[in-house]
Amino acid sequence: MKTVKSFALAAPLVLAATAPITASAQEFSKELIEKGRYLATASDCVACHTNHEGGKPMAGGLPMASPVGTIVSTNITPSKEFGIGNYTEAQFSDAVRKGIRGDGANLYPAMPYVSYSNMTDEDIHALYAYFMQGVQPVDEKSPETNLPFPMNFRASMMSWNMLFRPNEVHKDDPGQSAEWNRGKYLAEGAAHCSTCHTPRGIFMQEQKSLNLTGGQIGAWYAPDITNDPVHGIGSWTQAELVTYLKTGKLENKAQAAGSMAEAISYSFQHLTDADLNAIATYVRSVPSANAAGTTGATRFDKGAPGNDMAAFRGKDYADGLKGDHAGAQIFAANCASCHGYNAQGTRDGYYPSLFHNAATAGDNSINVISAILNGVDRHTEDEHVFMPPFGDQTNAVVQLTNVEVASLSNYLLAQYGNDKLTVTPEDVQVIREGGPKSNMVQMARIGIGAGVTAVALLLASLIWYRSRRKTKPALSA
Amino acid sequence: MVTKTSADVVIVGTGVVGVVIAEQLLDAGHSVLMIEAGPRVSRAEVVENWRNAPLGVKGDTSVAYPSRPWAPHPMGNEKGDEAYLQLSGPDSYAQTFIRYAGGSTWHWAGTSWRLTPEDMRLKSLYGVGRDWAFDYDTLEPYYVRTENKLGICGPSDPALQWPRVARSAPYPMPHLPFSPGEERFTEIARTLGYNNIPVAQARNSGMPYDGRPACCANNNCVPVCPVAAKYDAETALHRLEKKGATILVDSVVYKVETNAQNKIEAVHFYDQHKETHRIDGKLFVLACNGLENPKLLLMSKDDRNPNGVANSSDQVGRNMMDHPQLTLTVTTKEPFWSGIGPVVNSGIMETSQGSFRSEHAGAYFRYNNFARNRFVTFAALKKGLVGKALDEEIRRMTACTADIVAAHEVLPDPNNRLTLSDKTDWLGLPKPHIHYDVGEYTRKSAEVYSLPIGKRIAEAMGATDVKISPKFNQSKHIMGGTIMGNDASNSVVDADCRAHDHENLFIPGGGAMASTACGNSTITMVALAIKAGDAIVDQMRGA
Repeated sequence: MKTVKSFALAAPLVLAATAPITASAQEFSKELIEKGRYLATASDCVACHTNHEGGKPMAGGLPMASPVGTIVSTNITPSKEFGIGNYTEAQFSDAVRKGIRGDGANLYPAMPYVSYSNMTDEDIHALYAYFMQGVQPVDEKSPETNLPFPMNFRASMMSWNMLFRPNEVHKDDPGQSAEWNRGKYLAEGAAHCSTCHTPRGIFMQEQKSLNLTGGQIGAWYAPDITNDPVHGIGSWTQAELVTYLKTGKLENKAQAAGSMAEAISYSFQHLTDADLNAIATYVRSVPSANAAGTTGATRFDKGAPGNDMAAFRGKDYADGLKGDHAGAQIFAANCASCHGYNAQGTRDGYYPSLFHNAATAGDNSINVISAILNGVDRHTEDEHVFMPPFGDQTNAVVQLTNVEVASLSNYLLAQYGNDKLTVTPEDVQVIREGGPKSNMVQMARIGIGAGVTAVALLLASLIWYRSRRKTKPALSA
Repeated sequence: MVTKTSADVVIVGTGVVGVVIAEQLLDAGHSVLMIEAGPRVSRAEVVENWRNAPLGVKGDTSVAYPSRPWAPHPMGNEKGDEAYLQLSGPDSYAQTFIRYAGGSTWHWAGTSWRLTPEDMRLKSLYGVGRDWAFDYDTLEPYYVRTENKLGICGPSDPALQWPRVARSAPYPMPHLPFSPGEERFTEIARTLGYNNIPVAQARNSGMPYDGRPACCANNNCVPVCPVAAKYDAETALHRLEKKGATILVDSVVYKVETNAQNKIEAVHFYDQHKETHRIDGKLFVLACNGLENPKLLLMSKDDRNPNGVANSSDQVGRNMMDHPQLTLTVTTKEPFWSGIGPVVNSGIMETSQGSFRSEHAGAYFRYNNFARNRFVTFAALKKGLVGKALDEEIRRMTACTADIVAAHEVLPDPNNRLTLSDKTDWLGLPKPHIHYDVGEYTRKSAEVYSLPIGKRIAEAMGATDVKISPKFNQSKHIMGGTIMGNDASNSVVDADCRAHDHENLFIPGGGAMASTACGNSTITMVALAIKAGDAIVDQMRGA
C-alpha cells in the first residue's frame, strides 16, 4: 500500500500527477477500506448518490432540483460499465477534489468538490479503496442530467472552477488546537457545511465573506450557524451542538429537516463523538461577518403557547376558513393533533413545540413554509421522525393550497415565532416549486449574445478575489 | 385509454375494496375509472366537523360526515320514513356507512382479525351455516398481502397471534402497547383462563409506513384518524390518480346495463344535478359496500335478468349479516383508565371457537379503549352536579367505568333480506329495506354463553354495577348480501367474487363472505378484493 503525504504538495496538478495510479485489481487492506467507508459517511456520498425510493446504494439516479435545473446523481459504484470501476486513483481524485470526470468533462458543483478539495491525499486514497472494493458494484445506468442551454455545456464550468474552486489541501493552523484543526478539516471538507450554510452569489458560488451565515438550499433555508449569539448558534453549548448532530434535534430549540435531516440520517449520527466534538469546536469558532454586537431574542426562544380556538370552535369548517382566524382554523385542523392545541408538542420531544423553535422564529419564513409543504423525514439510531407533507405529494395528509399555507404560516409566525414576518401565497408557490430559480441561465443566455459574459466573469473574479482577501483573516481568526 | 365515459375497468365505489383493486389493475397497466356517489372532502374538514359537533350528538359518528342529498347514508337523527335505511324485523339492521370518496374506512377502528380455518368450514365441522368456496390456506397469502398493503401492525410472538396457525409472513409492524385499563383487563381475564391478546390493526405503530405517520394516540380512530396513521382508503386516492386513475365524485350509479351476451356493457349514473351519464368498459367491479351493491343489482333488473342483475340464484340481498354485539358497561371501585392509544387495541378471540358452535354462536370479547369522558359526562350532569363536584365526578367515572363488548357471529339466513323499498331518496331512487332477525343461534349464545362469560369478567373486575345493553346492536360490518359459493344456484359470486351470471362483473368485499365469524370483516373483505384483483388481471390478459 502506498500513501502520499499531501502537505508538501501545494498544486493539485502536481498532486494528480504523483498520486498512485492504481489498477482496481490491487488489493486494499480491510483497515483502509473501513477508513474510506467512514470518510464516505462523513462526506455523505450516499445521500445524493442513491435514489432513496428503491435505488441501490451509490448507484445514483436521484433527481435534485437546483436553481439552474434538475441534476441527476450518477452511479459511483465500482461497476466498470456504468460506474467508476475503471477510474484510476488520479481520476478519482480529480473527480472528488476538482470536479473533473474520468473522461475529462466537468462535473456540476452540485457535487461539493469545492469543499472536498481540502481533503488530503491520504484520505482520498482511503476513499478510493472503499469505492473500488467496499461498495457493491451496480451494473445499472443512471439517467443523464440535461440542463438547459448554456448550462448543458459542461466546459462552461472550467471558467467557474478557475474563479471559485479552491485548490488547497487542508493545512493545520499551528495556532489552533488539534481538535479545532480536525474540526475545520471535516466541517469545511467532507461534511461540506458551507455548501448549504453559506449564501451563494450570482454565479452560484459560495460567498466566502459570508461563511456559514445562512443560505437558501432549494426549498429550505440552511440557517446562520456562526457563533453570533443572536442570529447564529452562539447561544448553544458544545454539548448541545454535538447532541443536535447526533440526533437531529434539540428540544425547545431546533430540529433538522430537508437536507440537514439527510445529513443527520446518513452522515453525522454515524461519526465518532471525537469528530462531532471537533466539528462543533470549529463551527463554534466561526464568527459572523454580519455580527455587530447584536443582542435580543434568538430564533430558539421566541413565542409562547396559546391558541385561538374560541374564535371559530362550533362554526362550520368553511366558515372558520373565512376571515381573520383562517390560520388558527387550519392549525387546529391539520397541526394540533400532533403538536398539541397550544402547539406545546409532546414531553418526549418527538413532536416539537412550535414556539421556542428555530423553524418558526428564524430571520425568514422559508422553513415554516417548507416544513408545512414538505414535512420532515429523519432517521436516527433511536427514532424515525416523520412529519407527513401537506404539499402536492400523493401522501400529503391534506393538500393545502398556497392561500391556506400562507394563512397557516402567518398564524404560526405571529402566535409562536417571528411575528415580524409575513408570508404571501406567492412565497408559498416559490417553495412549492423547490425554491427560487437562479436567473443565471437567463443572464448567461443574454450575456453570450451581448458579449457581456466575459465582462461579468471578470467582474465576478475581481469581487471574488477581493472577498477572498477579506474572508481569510476571519476564517483563521 | 381512460376517458370520462370509458375505461378498461370501471369500479363503482372508492372504499378500501375498490381502491385496492384499482391499484392492482393500474400496476398491471390497465386504465381504471372509479365512480363515487358522494363527495371528496379533506381530512381537515372531517376532523373539524367532529370537533365542532356538540357533545350531545357525538354518539353518532356520522355527524363528521353529513350526507349529500344525492348520496344519502344513514345519519343518527333520521326517523321513520325519513330514514335512509327502511328497517323491519325483530332486530334492527341499523348500520352506518359513509358515501364519501374513501368510503367507510374513514371511520373504522382498524381492527384486523383474520378468520380461522374453522370459521370457513361451519357446515362441515358443526353442521350449521355454509362452508366457504375455498379453505384458509387459499386465503392466507391474500391476508399477508392485505397486511402489507394496509400496513397492519400485530404481534410477532406466535402465542399472541390470531388465529393460532402458522403465518407465512410476519406483520409489517409490531403491535401497539396496552393502555393501563387494557393491562388490568388482560391480567383479570387471565385469572379466568382467557387470553386478551393485542389486536392486529391497520395503524402505524411507532413508525411511519407507506408515507403515513406513526400513530400519536389521539384516541380518535372512530370517527376519523386526524393524522392518517390509521389506514383509510382516502389515503390512497391521490396515489391512484398519479398512477392514472380517473375518479368521478358526486356520481350516483343507478343502473348496471347488460348486453345480448348478458355481459355488462355499461353503468349509468346521476350527477348531483340529476343529469344522467353512461360509462362503458371491458370489465366492471361493484365495490360500493354490502348494502349498496345488492341494492344496485336489484335496481338494475332487465328483461334478461328479471330478478335483478347477477340474481338468477335469487340470493342477491339475502343472507344479510353483521356481528350483533352486546355491551356490558361496568362500574368499578378501582380506576381502569381507558383511552391511551387506539380505541380498540386488544381482544379475547378464543371464545369465538369451539364445538359448541353446532349449538350456538361464538363471541369475541373486547375491552373498549375509547376515552370514557365523552360517554360519562351526561350521566354526571344528570346527577345534578355542578362546578368542581361535576368535574370530579366526570373524572371518577372516566377512570372507573369500562365497556366490555361481546361481538357474536350470525348464520346466513335467506330471510334476512334487503329489498327495494317503495320509499325513495332525493334522486327518486328506491331506499333499501332490510328485514333482520339475528336468529336463535345467536340469541342462544347470549343466553347460555357470551353474557355469562361477560358477567364473570365483570365480577372479576370488581364491578359495583353492570349495565347490559337490552338488545343487540349492530357492528356496522355489512356481510352476506352477494354471497359467495361454488354452486351458482344458491350463491351470487364464485371463489374470485365474479358474478356467476356475468363473466365481466366482479362483486368483491363483505357481501361475498359466507360466514361472519366474530372478528371484524374488513381484512377479509380486502383479502377477497386482492384475490379478485388477481383474477381480473388474469382475465384482462386473456381479453
